[in-house]
Amino acid sequence: MFIINCPYCGERDQTEFSCGGEAHIERPKQPTELSDDQWAEYLFMRKNIKGVQFERWNHAHGCRKWFNMVRDTSNDKIQAVYKMGEKPPVK
Amino acid sequence: MLSFNSPIKEEKKYNDLKIVEIEPTIKINLRSNKREFSTKIGKILSILPPNEANTSSGNENYNFLWLSPDEWLVYSNNINHTLDNQIELENNLFNEISKLNQGAVTNVSDNWVMINLKGSKTFDLLSKSCPFNFKDFKNKKGSVVQTVLNHVDVILHNKDENDLNLFVRRSFSQDLWLWINDSARFL
Repeated sequence: MFIINCPYCGERDQTEFSCGGEAHIERPKQPTELSDDQWAEYLFMRKNIKGVQFERWNHAHGCRKWFNMVRDTSNDKIQAVYKMGEKPPVK
Repeated sequence: MLSFNSPIKEEKKYNDLKIVEIEPTIKINLRSNKREFSTKIGKILSILPPNEANTSSGNENYNFLWLSPDEWLVYSNNINHTLDNQIELENNLFNEISKLNQGAVTNVSDNWVMINLKGSKTFDLLSKSCPFNFKDFKNKKGSVVQTVLNHVDVILHNKDENDLNLFVRRSFSQDLWLWINDSARFL
C-alpha cells in the first residue's frame, strides 16, 4: 500500500485508485494501413519493465480523473505525477 | 414534500454519536468546464461554485460541493422543499446550462442518500474503515472528500465540528447503514 498524490484532490491512499497501464502510447494515425502484427503490437504489447515506468492512473473512488504517473515498479516509489496532456517532468 | 421513499427510515443514538438519515433533499449534479458557468450558477442559486479542491460553498438554502475540477453536487438544506421547488430549480438550471451547451445538469435526488453523523465519536467511526486521513479535514469547516467507507463510495461534507453529512448511493445505503450501526456499538 502506498500514498498517491492526485493532481486534483491531493494525497490519497492507493486503494482509491486504479492503474490504467502504460502511458504515452500513441494511436497509429492510419490504422487501416497496419498489418495484423503491427496492430496487435499497438493494442496488446506493453513494456512491463522492472524499474521506472510511465503509467496512466485513475482516481476511481475520488474525482474520477485520469492522470499520469512515473513510478519505479521495483519499489513503488513515485517520481512524478502530472495531468493528462502535460509533458513528463522526468525522462 | 418530495416523493422520496427512504431506504433507511431510522435514527440511532450511541455514546457521543447520533446517526440519522436526512431526507428528502434536492440533489443536483452539475458538470461544466465553461467560463460562463459560474456566473450563471451565481444568478440562479446565489452561490458561486467552489473552485478549490475538497471545499464547498453555501447559503441558507443550498450547499455546493466540489467533486472534481468540472463537477459539483448541489444539495438543499431544507427537507420541506416540494416537488414543485425541485422541478422549478431543475428547469431553471437546465434552461440556463444544459440547453445553452454550458454544461450538464442531472437530478440525483433519488440516487444519493444523505446520512448525518454528529458527535465526538464521528471520526473514530469513520476511521474504522476509511483510508482517508481526516487530520486536516475535521478542522476545516466546509471541507469535502470523496472516498470509500467499508469499500463503499461516499461523499463526506464537514458541516461543523463533529457534524458531517455522508452521501452514499441508494443501492449501498442499507448495507452501509448496517455497517455504521454495527461499528458504532464498539466505539
